[in-house]
Amino acid sequence: MIDISFAAALPAGGARVLGVWEGGNATAAARASVVAAQVERALAASPSFGGREGQMLTLLAPADTTAERLVLLGLGPFGELDAHRARRLGAAVAAELGCAGVAQLAVDLDLTPETAAAFAQGLVLRLPRLSPWQTRPEPAAHPTLVAATLRISATAAAETQWRAARAEAGGVLLARDLVDAPANVLTPRAFVARAQAPEALGVRVDVVQGVDALEAAGFGLLAAVGRAATEPPALVTLTWPGAGNDATPPLALVGKGITFDTGGLCVKPADGMERMKGDMGGAAAVLGAIHALAAMQAACPVVGILAIAENAVGDSALRPGDVLRSAKGLTVEVIDTDAEGRLVLADALAHAASLRPRAVVDVATLTGSVVTALGRHMAGLFCADAGFATALRDLGDAVGEQLWPLPLTADYDDDLKSDLADLLQCAPAGRFLPDALHAARFLQHFAPAGVPWAHLDIAGVATADDDRPLSPKGATGFGVRLLTALAERLARPAP
Amino acid sequence: MKISFAKPAVPDAGALAVLVAQDAEPAAFLKDLDGTLNGALARARAAGRFEGKAGQTLSLLAPMGTDLDRIVLVGIGKAADVDSLGLQAAGGSAWAALADDKQGCIVIDGLETSRLDEGEAAAQVAYGALLRSYRFDKYRTTEKKDDKPKLSKLTVTSPEPGAAKKAWAPLEAVAAGIFLTRDLVSEPANVIHPESFAKECEKLADLGLKVTVLGEKDMKKLGMGALLGVGQGSARESQMVVMEWQGADDKKDAPVAFVGKGVCFDSGGISIKPAGGMEDMKWDMGGAGVVTGLMKALAGRKAKANVVGLIGLVENMPSGTAQRPGDVVTSASGQTIEVINTDAEGRLVLADVLWYAQEKHKPKAIIDLATLTGAIIISLGGEHAGLFSNDDGLSDKLAAAAKATGEKVWRMPMGDAYDKQIKSDIADMKNTGGREAGSITAAQFLKRFVKDGLPWAHIDIAGVTWSKKDSPTVPKGATAFGVRLLDRLVADEFEAK
Repeated sequence: MIDISFAAALPAGGARVLGVWEGGNATAAARASVVAAQVERALAASPSFGGREGQMLTLLAPADTTAERLVLLGLGPFGELDAHRARRLGAAVAAELGCAGVAQLAVDLDLTPETAAAFAQGLVLRLPRLSPWQTRPEPAAHPTLVAATLRISATAAAETQWRAARAEAGGVLLARDLVDAPANVLTPRAFVARAQAPEALGVRVDVVQGVDALEAAGFGLLAAVGRAATEPPALVTLTWPGAGNDATPPLALVGKGITFDTGGLCVKPADGMERMKGDMGGAAAVLGAIHALAAMQAACPVVGILAIAENAVGDSALRPGDVLRSAKGLTVEVIDTDAEGRLVLADALAHAASLRPRAVVDVATLTGSVVTALGRHMAGLFCADAGFATALRDLGDAVGEQLWPLPLTADYDDDLKSDLADLLQCAPAGRFLPDALHAARFLQHFAPAGVPWAHLDIAGVATADDDRPLSPKGATGFGVRLLTALAERLARPAP
Repeated sequence: MKISFAKPAVPDAGALAVLVAQDAEPAAFLKDLDGTLNGALARARAAGRFEGKAGQTLSLLAPMGTDLDRIVLVGIGKAADVDSLGLQAAGGSAWAALADDKQGCIVIDGLETSRLDEGEAAAQVAYGALLRSYRFDKYRTTEKKDDKPKLSKLTVTSPEPGAAKKAWAPLEAVAAGIFLTRDLVSEPANVIHPESFAKECEKLADLGLKVTVLGEKDMKKLGMGALLGVGQGSARESQMVVMEWQGADDKKDAPVAFVGKGVCFDSGGISIKPAGGMEDMKWDMGGAGVVTGLMKALAGRKAKANVVGLIGLVENMPSGTAQRPGDVVTSASGQTIEVINTDAEGRLVLADVLWYAQEKHKPKAIIDLATLTGAIIISLGGEHAGLFSNDDGLSDKLAAAAKATGEKVWRMPMGDAYDKQIKSDIADMKNTGGREAGSITAAQFLKRFVKDGLPWAHIDIAGVTWSKKDSPTVPKGATAFGVRLLDRLVADEFEAK
């Protein structure tokens, strides 16, 4: 992570970032600086630069200053910057300058402690990444930015805000690393090992590992999905008691952690199968959120549950037609071994229910159906509790991780009726199946009754094929900031 | 089937259905009837585990003490929860239980339906029975007479038969519209093609609608290159039909416009579809079918609103003259479209009809319906239509009408991020944005043909136009989903009260 500092006076050298409002008016700070005249000339010479949000104009080797370059940053419509816009602006700067040879940024933008922290977080979140597995990368792909100083008079307040924002960003980067890691590196055992990290921050980590141990504890679905792989499946429980150690019931976060999904005996087509290394994006988001909350010493007690397994092909693999007994006691008839996510989540949700949580959110790269429905800009939200659903959507909008509600109704129950068991795992094959809806309805049987529960299907948004405002292409870490924000919201009394 | 209303009485012959609430004491009618039957009803209820739950029925064949062929009890659930949808469903279930007799009677007695008056309640029951009675069997020439439903005379009782009759008239008109839609959608594509469809529309002039049919020459003059491109591979001439209903007192009041996709058969064109299931593509004119049935319903009940229905009728066929992937067409709006996939043809047809509707009729709101995408079925299944709109107010009104009619809609998102998926390198846009968010990108495409500021909604009915199973008021097959919804929208939001 780049080094962020806050100071009343900016250091010499590096790139100096100045703001220009939409319409071409430089900010007060820019007008007051020694380079004001150059800024005015540059703006006059660049009619296509309108100060729209994220636009940038670079002046190399400016006069009368030690700065190597001036960067005029379009701020968008004149008015107060909110945290979300500040974050996007920071991200835009990181995208433009992250690999451009600039080592130091000096940001001169009239920021408040809150927007300064958000701007800094944007820088961190959007900085281009270098894959650890590229041994001879192109120089142009090397991030050069190592430090940024933001000018602000209330430095102490900004640093306080930044501690939380940095913790959150750290959780996002952790989740992205896990999703990007190939499945021969992030195996089930390796994932369990990585999940130990928050122990250093005061998180209790409990692991049930291995087919026999899981079966003995009743987690028949998770054990069945993981039994063909060479490395054992595991259920990891991460308990953050909350900074105040208060006795309120925890928020439970449940993540699907399939380290690689071949589809099992219902093997997937070869085309695109490499993407299935990211089928643990839900568990990565949960681990990232727990890490962030512990690092920021969050008040809200939170428990994270990771259902970790590799869905492999093998002589002991789960078969279509098998009937399994879940941790909840409900029996499930397997139709498609490639609909494994809902099986491992079902057991993890039942485990969450046993912890008497105040609310439960599960996160999973669950279905292709949700990608057909919502594409790659929003996650599917399934939630029967209207108030909880609205709160989640609002938080998603605020942090830039958007959710869209999809139906969770009894309309589709007939599709999941089994002649043999309590439930069908999914509807028998057909051309146009609303599989995301089926999956959500299936999971609802395992969610605790009487407390709010939401299911987030992030199959379309956990990774991106192109750069996004707040993340370079690749794993996005979607969910970490949303879940962190939810825990913080729950810790505060309702307004 | 002839439907009449009368005061509650036990008929001399035929079949009798009695609606029974779950939690109420048997009403006077039922007690008297049970007396006549020497307690057989009470014994049958116990033996048949009949509680009166919604949808439950209990049939007594040839009951002693009467000449009736059968007595059927139809559950309607808890009396306090019964609404018009519940009564319609009960009427539909009653029809199914009575269909083997020529003459039937449905008794509603002692139902404390707090939300509806007694006349209205009887009319809703009759409406449900009529909607369920629809059958498209004209091509079943060898079906045995005994295998067909026989019910030709149905009486529904009400303490207020006069009020029931009054409430019935508009419902019967809407049912006539629904049946027209179901007929049009059920007819095979060798019978209903663009020209024959347009002829069916012309018949509606009898109801006071102004019907105008435009052929390919007219549409060429209007520059409708997007629609014409879709139809150019077919032996049938493409048509656009405009149906105008001037029901408002102020004839100059801007109309509300309904636009329907009428691809009478969709082979996919050069981007041809797989053979499995292609026969379903006879109902790819479902949107146009709904708009036509809706116009019949509105005219039939003399709606006090100005409404214009416009449908684009084409056949999408592969041939030497068919449009090719890669072709660029110019729409009536002047915007150019690169045709990437000839099977994404519905939006091309709608683009030109939407534009024409706005230019010519200056509507105050515009709503289009289309069996547009397979993606909407994968998104929402067969219970909800997908609703896309640029206007929260119109969306909320549609959602309210959906709730009242049981034709459910689910709002889907739109936005610039999705719009980017249909950018073309050589034209203003391309006609498909790929599999991901396939229904949303289709809606983004249509939005580019809607003028700024005009409230617009697009309803993707691909998942709800055809049903594989009977429901109480919709027999399997063509559902006519949308007629009830939009009739209700017009009644609640666009008619003078």
